Amino acid sequence: MTEHALLVDGIVRRFGGVRAVDGASFTVQDGSITGLIGPNGAGKTTVFNIISGFLRADGGAVTFRGRRLDGFPPHRIAQAGLVRTFQAPRILTRMSVLENLMLGGVKQPGERFALACLLGSASRREREVREEAMAVLDLLRLTHLAPAYAGTLSGGQRKLLELGRALMAAPRLLLLDEPLAGVAPALADQLLDHVGTLRKHRGMTILIIEHDMEAVMSICDWVVAMDQGRVIASGTPRQIQTNERVIASYLGTVAAAHV
Amino acid sequence: MDILNPAFWVFVGVVAGIYGLLALALYVQFSMAGLPNFGHVAFMALAAYTMALLVIRADVALVWAGVAGIAAAVALGLLLGIPSVRLRANYLAIATVAGSEMIRYLSTNLNLTGGAVGSVGMLGPTHFATYTNAWQPFIESITAALRHAVGSVATTDFSMFCLVWVTLGLLLMLFRRLERSPWGRVMKAIREDEEAAASLGKHVEAYKLQALVLGGIVGGLAGILWALEIGVFSPDDFQPTLTFYAYLILILGGMNRVWAIPVGAVLFGVLYSGTRFLSFFPLSLVDTGERAYLRLLIVGLVLVLLMAVRPQGMFGKREELLLEK
Repeated sequence: MTEHALLVDGIVRRFGGVRAVDGASFTVQDGSITGLIGPNGAGKTTVFNIISGFLRADGGAVTFRGRRLDGFPPHRIAQAGLVRTFQAPRILTRMSVLENLMLGGVKQPGERFALACLLGSASRREREVREEAMAVLDLLRLTHLAPAYAGTLSGGQRKLLELGRALMAAPRLLLLDEPLAGVAPALADQLLDHVGTLRKHRGMTILIIEHDMEAVMSICDWVVAMDQGRVIASGTPRQIQTNERVIASYLGTVAAAHV
Repeated sequence: MDILNPAFWVFVGVVAGIYGLLALALYVQFSMAGLPNFGHVAFMALAAYTMALLVIRADVALVWAGVAGIAAAVALGLLLGIPSVRLRANYLAIATVAGSEMIRYLSTNLNLTGGAVGSVGMLGPTHFATYTNAWQPFIESITAALRHAVGSVATTDFSMFCLVWVTLGLLLMLFRRLERSPWGRVMKAIREDEEAAASLGKHVEAYKLQALVLGGIVGGLAGILWALEIGVFSPDDFQPTLTFYAYLILILGGMNRVWAIPVGAVLFGVLYSGTRFLSFFPLSLVDTGERAYLRLLIVGLVLVLLMAVRPQGMFGKREELLLEK
């Protein structure tokens, strides 16, 4: 079973009378980049919120590396190595770009009150975290913005910063919610490059919600398609592109133009 | 009393220092952790009442009574906070206003707490109750020691002034250190966006509880020092307006800046007490009683003007006001 990094099994979530997620099941292979697609309202973000603990499922199970994670609070899930970003980036606007990144650092003893009283900001781990953050900034080509308030960044830069902050949290599985939405084409290419690099060089597994079909088809090696709260198909990008149910539900217009 | 009387200004300094402590307690909860506590004065009241009651009715030593007072303030913070930390901040605001008013009304109406008369009535109407018997010799000994150092300026109030400001100074240093630590970074992140903090593996509720406890400790300390300074107190000494004075101090000094607290406290103290002497023309045309109200009006006006000219406060950063969350 170890080849499955993530196992989502029959999760259900109702909002009032609406079944936003209605028994969705899929797996994410270890080391893969898996795309989660579907029309608006298909339940993709709800699935993300359930996996990351921000929403409780009404039924079903989420298993990460053989460990049941459903019902855990968000911070425990992040600590287990399952780190997410948000559709609308949730950067901390009145903190510096560097502080945003340093916040993500894992295993910081100085986050405990008693040690913080004693040490303040002077500790070996704090210096390490700062160096890690600078390395991430370098990778994202945001070094010149380190001291700036994060609130002064453009939409695309915020997406980059959020990705970088998630990286600081040492994810084994990275959940990206529409990383390309609202990002200028040049920056989008850069973001995609980063995602590819992360898998290749850090052995990260990535689950990505994205509406940009071209990007999904080029970067993902597995695609899960949802509609009306259910998984309607999964397969390689090529299989999905030619799957009739997917075309009918979602790719309809795109397929008519390209296939 | 005239405006140049040093004894008066020493008293103003003591009051400013105690308000500064209250503002610092609020700072931990509101500025650091983003918890809007609108009943902060309840920490002061509960600590003062607990201390006085234990000394007067149970004969507990003053030190332990003080510790118990602070513990009671912490317990109140947790009582109001635990149900609301999982909810949005608005609920905490409502719970704290309600909680602090409950304490004020209870203390006004219970015989145990001396009713509207306050601490002097804690043993019933026939006894004059006091909790400062052990405090007087202590503060006198400090005064005697200070008199050796600085001469006749050293009065009881002056000793209190030193005590309050040394306490405030040490606490400010501690919180400055905390704020710059990774712990402070997590707190700040929770203030900005708690879901973002949680998504990075930070246990948001645990940090909020820590802020409630710390705020309770410092707020309780402010209450105890206030009770010891004034010697007798009644429910009226813990009006809800005190909470808003603490907010004023934070806003005047500049939000989210720990060193802005002493500056805000002094500014507020001077503005609030200094205006007692506004007896010149044309204010001299109205009689003293009316002038007392006029004074508060003027304080308010000056505050509005200050905010119009410098919305970020003395030390606040203007950029931070412009960045939306």
